[in-house]
Amino acid sequence: MAASGADLVLEKKDFTPTISTMPPRPEVTYNWVNITSDFFHATKDLELGELLHDDVFGLFEAMSAIEMMDPKMDAGMMCNRGKKVLNFDQAVKAGALKLNNLTMEELVGIMDSMFACLVTWLEGHSAAQTILTCLYLHKPLSIEDRALRAFSIQTLKLIAIINNIVHSAGVFEEEDFQPALYGYSVCSEVTEVRAGGMMREVEEELQRAVKASRNRQGEPWDTKMQKQHEDAVALFSRIRFMRLFYAALAALMRREQTSISESERYLASCTELVCIMQNTIGRGLKPKHHKDEEGNKVDYPVIMGFEPLVNQRLLPPTFPRYTRLRTRKEAMHYLEEMVGRLRHITKITHCTGFHSALEFIENFSETRPCVLSRSLAQVLYLGGGDKLWGGQTMAEALREAARGFICPPALLPKAPVMNNVQAKEYVSSFFNRCVRPFEQLIQTCGHNRARQRDKVAHLLEEFAMLQDEADKVDAYLHNVLLKSDQPRPHLAYLGTWVLYHTLRLMIKYLLTGFTLELYAVHEYHYVYWYLYEFVYVWLVSALSRADAMLLEQDGYDTNKGKSGRSSKNKNRNKKKHRPYGKEITYYQALQHLCGGYYKAMVGLREAGKVKLPIQEFDNEQVRYEHRFLPFSVVMTPPPVHYDQFLSMTDLSNFPQPVSPATLYHDARNHFFKARTLLDTIHAPSNEVQQLLKVVKTNFVVMKLLEGGHKADDPTRPQFDFMNHPCFPIIKI
Amino acid sequence: MTDGRTLVGSFVCTDRDNNIILGSCTEHLRPDEDGREEEPRVLGLAMIPGRHIISICIDEASQPPQPPSSMYT
Repeated sequence: MAASGADLVLEKKDFTPTISTMPPRPEVTYNWVNITSDFFHATKDLELGELLHDDVFGLFEAMSAIEMMDPKMDAGMMCNRGKKVLNFDQAVKAGALKLNNLTMEELVGIMDSMFACLVTWLEGHSAAQTILTCLYLHKPLSIEDRALRAFSIQTLKLIAIINNIVHSAGVFEEEDFQPALYGYSVCSEVTEVRAGGMMREVEEELQRAVKASRNRQGEPWDTKMQKQHEDAVALFSRIRFMRLFYAALAALMRREQTSISESERYLASCTELVCIMQNTIGRGLKPKHHKDEEGNKVDYPVIMGFEPLVNQRLLPPTFPRYTRLRTRKEAMHYLEEMVGRLRHITKITHCTGFHSALEFIENFSETRPCVLSRSLAQVLYLGGGDKLWGGQTMAEALREAARGFICPPALLPKAPVMNNVQAKEYVSSFFNRCVRPFEQLIQTCGHNRARQRDKVAHLLEEFAMLQDEADKVDAYLHNVLLKSDQPRPHLAYLGTWVLYHTLRLMIKYLLTGFTLELYAVHEYHYVYWYLYEFVYVWLVSALSRADAMLLEQDGYDTNKGKSGRSSKNKNRNKKKHRPYGKEITYYQALQHLCGGYYKAMVGLREAGKVKLPIQEFDNEQVRYEHRFLPFSVVMTPPPVHYDQFLSMTDLSNFPQPVSPATLYHDARNHFFKARTLLDTIHAPSNEVQQLLKVVKTNFVVMKLLEGGHKADDPTRPQFDFMNHPCFPIIKI
Repeated sequence: MTDGRTLVGSFVCTDRDNNIILGSCTEHLRPDEDGREEEPRVLGLAMIPGRHIISICIDEASQPPQPPSSMYT
């Protein structure tokens, strides 16, 4: 291909790059010399497959090179097809963008499209391909229409505050949220207060219009008036929603008692407004499918003011991504649910103490909330890292939590041991040491559910170290207390508290393996075995100890200085129910549930009903060690090695002769025990009810299998996780 | 390139079919009728299939002395 006249132009022209993304350098002038024909001639000397390359070249890096002119990899090709992409100024000049005299239909339509873009962005898509495709947001101060101008500015403020919330919480991953705004300004010339004020002005005007066009009793309602009324209602609800939604978020971020009630009011209004918005979607201008030069439909329908490709060249150099925007109906529904979630999280402010806040966040996480609501929950409770909600520092809150959990003598008010300076210092520095791991515990529950398992694995390391420290502090306090005037033991108080959390983390790690569908059926037996034989046993034991310690402390309290009435008090103590009774029963039930699964799986394996991996390609030890790898750093409870697993689960340990039937019988007993325990739980939660269903069904299945039902049937059993994501119903 | 875009980058590799790899590559669009130019897009490492190359130019002035792998044999 010989050099053409057009290319020679490049030779003579000064090429001055002005890319803002490149490091600033002085104006460079190039002297382009055409070498095309020489180049093509020279390459003919290469053999097929022979490469001529620079020293720094590597084939490995070259794999990531973007292949140009391939639509699958070259995002720049999109801009070349058909319709020219207009930015704000170009669109105004071409008359494609109205800044004034917008009809109500257009206004409602544009605002609904903006909501759709906002929701799509909140679901994790790039702002450049969603909300920033709205040209009105590029130069909002140039908009003359007051409603649209106020709305656009408020939207930019909303984007800014959302970015701030998600960033502060730090519980998002790349699949959750993309904070990049590609250099677009969020209209800092207008303050938040002023933006709110502008919205209010428009709102009040519309409110007057709504009243003025209302249906009057006794008078017929003019159709034109009716339309005006309904259009005004539609626009009014959108403006007001946007203003109040922003105000609610701003109030929550202030983290003050008064602002929480304020935000609750705003959010309650938002719920009502979304309803009106949903009913008035039809009043907006509908987006149209444009056709490009070849008459093909462009990717998705657009409305005036939106240019899907306007930011194309700002995107990082990857393969082209097509963002499908949410429909208006979907977007409104999302907003409705989002407001619901935000109203729920304000309740975290009612939590008394660390443990209840942790439980709140764990339960909230199970509802698979959006990134914004989970981030806001984190910010509301943890704040910037200094003071928790309620004003305590994390160290103080943890101290209280430990005291409430197991009542270590050293943490009692006016505990004499605290007069020992060294002891006081040890205890204080221990709780300071606790801050980071427990903060991370709260944050782990704020991440999206798929990512939590990995985080838990890392957290176990931190807690293992904390366990060590707790044991040391306990030992020191024990020595000090024994030598004091009122000798008391101080063993395994702080240690048990840390252990409680460690064990819960281990359970979470193993059980989320089921929710994430990580385990193969032929692995179920050792996972459930580990839970049955060790983790749940330790947990029940830890809680029982805490229980006993709390009751003992009660005994001390009532006996102290009230020797005359001691017998009466002792009776009263016996009647008091155990503080951890319900939890202990629950975990014991789960322990037996796991026992049931373990025995059932071994039985099914013996009966040849479980598909086992081909021996050549399998090593059970490797699989086992991989599954329990994060536990290897934990000292208490000590990790159970594969050899121990083999010797403990060897069938010769069971009463002989062992057959699938005897194993099914054992499983049946475990399920029965679990059921009995669960039945004793007063006011069972949703989860407990589901567990009861699982346990009862499995009991029946085991009974059938024991009786020889389908003994010769080679069909493999199915595991139905519909009722509970970790404990399936076995279907034969 | 055949669609009018121009890529500017450091030469890294080529083969018999004139497929070229450029490092630190930027993409420049054809200037408007008015002569205005779009902001160049940063690509990083890019590969251009030989069949899409219309012409190649090198910057003579700022070119450091070529190592032995020069094509000017």
